[in-house]
Amino acid sequence: MLGEITRRDFIRYCATTAALLGLSQLEFTKKLSAALVASTSGKPSVIWLEGQDCAGCTVSFAGSLNPPIASIILDTISVRYHEVLMAASGYQAEKAYHETVKEGSYVLIVQGSIPTADDRFCMVGGRPFREILLESAGNAGAIIAIGACATYGGIPAAGPTGAVGVSKIIKNKPIVNLPTCPVHPDHMMGTILYYLTTEKLPALDKIGRPRMYFSQTCHDNCRRRSYFDEGMLLEDWNDPKQKNYCLIEKGCKGPDTYSDCPVRQWNDGFSFCIDCGAGCKGCAEPTFYANMSPLYAEESGMLDEIKTKTFLGDDTQIDRKSSKGV
Amino acid sequence: MGKKIIVDPVTRIEGHLKIEVEIENGKVKDAWSSGTMARGIEVLLQGKDPRDASYVTSRICGVCFSVHQLCSCYALDDAFGADVPTGGTLLRNLAMGAEYIYDHILHFYQLSALDYLDIMAIANYKGKDHELNAVKDKILNLVRTKDTYPLTPRYKPDEYCVTDPEIVTHAVKHYVEALTIQAKARNMGAVFGGRHPHYQSIVVGGITNLPDINQVYRYRSMLDEQAEFVNEYYYKDVMAFGTGPLLPLAKMGLGGGHHNYLSYGALQKNPPAKKKLFPAGVIMNLDPANIQVRTFDENKITEAVKYSWYKDGKSLHPSEGRTVYDLDKKRGYTFVKAPRYDGKPMEVGPLARMLIAKNPDLIGLVEQGVKPGVVARHASRAIETKLVVNACYKWIEQLLTEMNKPGFRIHDTEHWDPPETGIGVGFYEAPRGALGHWIKIKDHKIDHYQCVVPSTWNASPRCEKKYRGQYEESLIGAPVPDPDNPINVLRIVRSFDPCLACAIHIIDPHTNEIKKFIVE
Repeated sequence: MLGEITRRDFIRYCATTAALLGLSQLEFTKKLSAALVASTSGKPSVIWLEGQDCAGCTVSFAGSLNPPIASIILDTISVRYHEVLMAASGYQAEKAYHETVKEGSYVLIVQGSIPTADDRFCMVGGRPFREILLESAGNAGAIIAIGACATYGGIPAAGPTGAVGVSKIIKNKPIVNLPTCPVHPDHMMGTILYYLTTEKLPALDKIGRPRMYFSQTCHDNCRRRSYFDEGMLLEDWNDPKQKNYCLIEKGCKGPDTYSDCPVRQWNDGFSFCIDCGAGCKGCAEPTFYANMSPLYAEESGMLDEIKTKTFLGDDTQIDRKSSKGV
Repeated sequence: MGKKIIVDPVTRIEGHLKIEVEIENGKVKDAWSSGTMARGIEVLLQGKDPRDASYVTSRICGVCFSVHQLCSCYALDDAFGADVPTGGTLLRNLAMGAEYIYDHILHFYQLSALDYLDIMAIANYKGKDHELNAVKDKILNLVRTKDTYPLTPRYKPDEYCVTDPEIVTHAVKHYVEALTIQAKARNMGAVFGGRHPHYQSIVVGGITNLPDINQVYRYRSMLDEQAEFVNEYYYKDVMAFGTGPLLPLAKMGLGGGHHNYLSYGALQKNPPAKKKLFPAGVIMNLDPANIQVRTFDENKITEAVKYSWYKDGKSLHPSEGRTVYDLDKKRGYTFVKAPRYDGKPMEVGPLARMLIAKNPDLIGLVEQGVKPGVVARHASRAIETKLVVNACYKWIEQLLTEMNKPGFRIHDTEHWDPPETGIGVGFYEAPRGALGHWIKIKDHKIDHYQCVVPSTWNASPRCEKKYRGQYEESLIGAPVPDPDNPINVLRIVRSFDPCLACAIHIIDPHTNEIKKFIVE
């Protein structure tokens, strides 16, 4: 098992993503090696902050098998501060944080939202999380907000603490937003690698999402799409005939949601929300959660429209309210 | 007055936790546990479609998300009057089994082991084992490049740390392997859960994922790999540590606490029969030589807020719980409330479950002199992981039988639409302990939602009777010879597998006072 986690293997893995980043394999590998050798230990330093979060994004990241998580945290990046992963606690943890901030040029990863109603809703080491975020953003080489909460406020934004995403607090620097609840480990590693190899952030859409991951709707690439086009909608999860039918009737938000989930899938290509019959809940959009609710019912009128349409031989597309922000 | 030390943030746990202890003559004299983050999950559910609750409460915690999802579904099943088919229950159980396995492995190796190992002892490994030498080289290479994050900085190893190079090197090898195994356990959960973390398929009435035979066999082959790791590595490592180098800590009963234990019971062993894999029960003032288990009575649960940042009021049953923030409260020191059973603070979690089940493996350890405390907690976790693995095999067999029956069902579709009114309660045993969700539905919407979660029980502050919470009480008397190196404090707190995002809730069903905190 240990044989897998060499840097050489890791670079090989990275090469397979080169095409995605629009680079040749050779070029990519060279650049990546150079980037890794550049810092003193060969590993870029990372400060990973948690605000109002559930740790789900860390857990998601820790589920990465390709590349294996051990290779990422021991061989690829230097995790200077991460409340879940680090050995140190309390004073030692704070010290590691301050030293890294002083050094500068680290990748700042943020998960969890920031309360604006009162700083006391999120305190770390006796300080408001908002202040820690402002401080660490100052010297960061790149800032990546991960998960629905850190990007656009997510579920906490629907609550009473005035929760907002990073870009509402840090105004003077570009922020890469990697929504979905939780973050997809590929989105995260891909973005970090893109930055390390090109020293640039990937092309972003108007709301800060990398276009390489968020340019098409789940509906566009859905493997149930042909059933939608035929007006065949799942009504009973017990019926084997309906197993792969479209999930619009069960509240699927795929038509409203820009993400490559259907192509990339989750858990190393195992499955994802639509595959398992639950439908998309729109977690890649700024309108998640409050304006995606009710999650399990279709209330936009689309259903009536589908039901009154003659499908066979009719190739007109049903217009869905256009997605926000792209 | 002794010297006060504050550990903030407590790391390698879920959530934001601060621990303050007062040290006198090298021992903890008093302790305060403080949760320092709040989101208001229960408030934001009010007025929403009840079916959203299982999805949203999953986000209470990203580590043990599925337990909230399932517990919420139990409450919704109850309120909707849904009758989950046996197939649905089996599939839910299999998804939850994966959750236990991943969660316990992750907790022992990634979150706790570093507290018991002098990791640098690896440098002295002299053996010939190829794989162990690979581990040694890896760690030494990190040292050479002067970048041993995140394994350092750390507290100085004390006399209880394992320093035998052979054992330490093995343990670090297993640490690295466990990273992969826990990731694979999550993929196993995703076979029926749809995605991990945050399962998608578990909904009111059952599950959305009608399985095919390939999925079932895929799950089973993945389970084989987990079973091997659990039986051959995890269980053996924990037992070898607990009865070997850590026996002095075990016999000392470090981190014992109040010795009151509570389990709600969980996972139907052989559905549709109601008998549970983990039985419900209550133990007060444990006598290890004569374990007396009482019947659990839901009505004896109350929550106090005297030392929490909420407006004062009478201790109430969770279904009635009414609380409003008071961030300026002088006495307050945490967002965590203080649940009590029959007025008493309780420990919940694997140790409580295994004591209440009178598990023979745990009893065996107790007979060897292991007292309830940090070591017994880790041991109970490993013991029950084995139980879960065995149960998963049985559920798979039962599922295959069910799938062959005509009219195999996974969901109660008749009860999918929210009722006009309803009251429901769900009880579950999360990896971290007893979990309860309470819901009231009015006009087809959520009127009131309340959770009392494991870490609320364990991490609670003092109540009006001034009983300390279980973390706090467990810290009393812990040896801290060097206040700059409070490693025992961390060992104790981490042995509970804290999950602070879970522990903190904000509710206010009926007033608008909360609004004054919102900056428009």
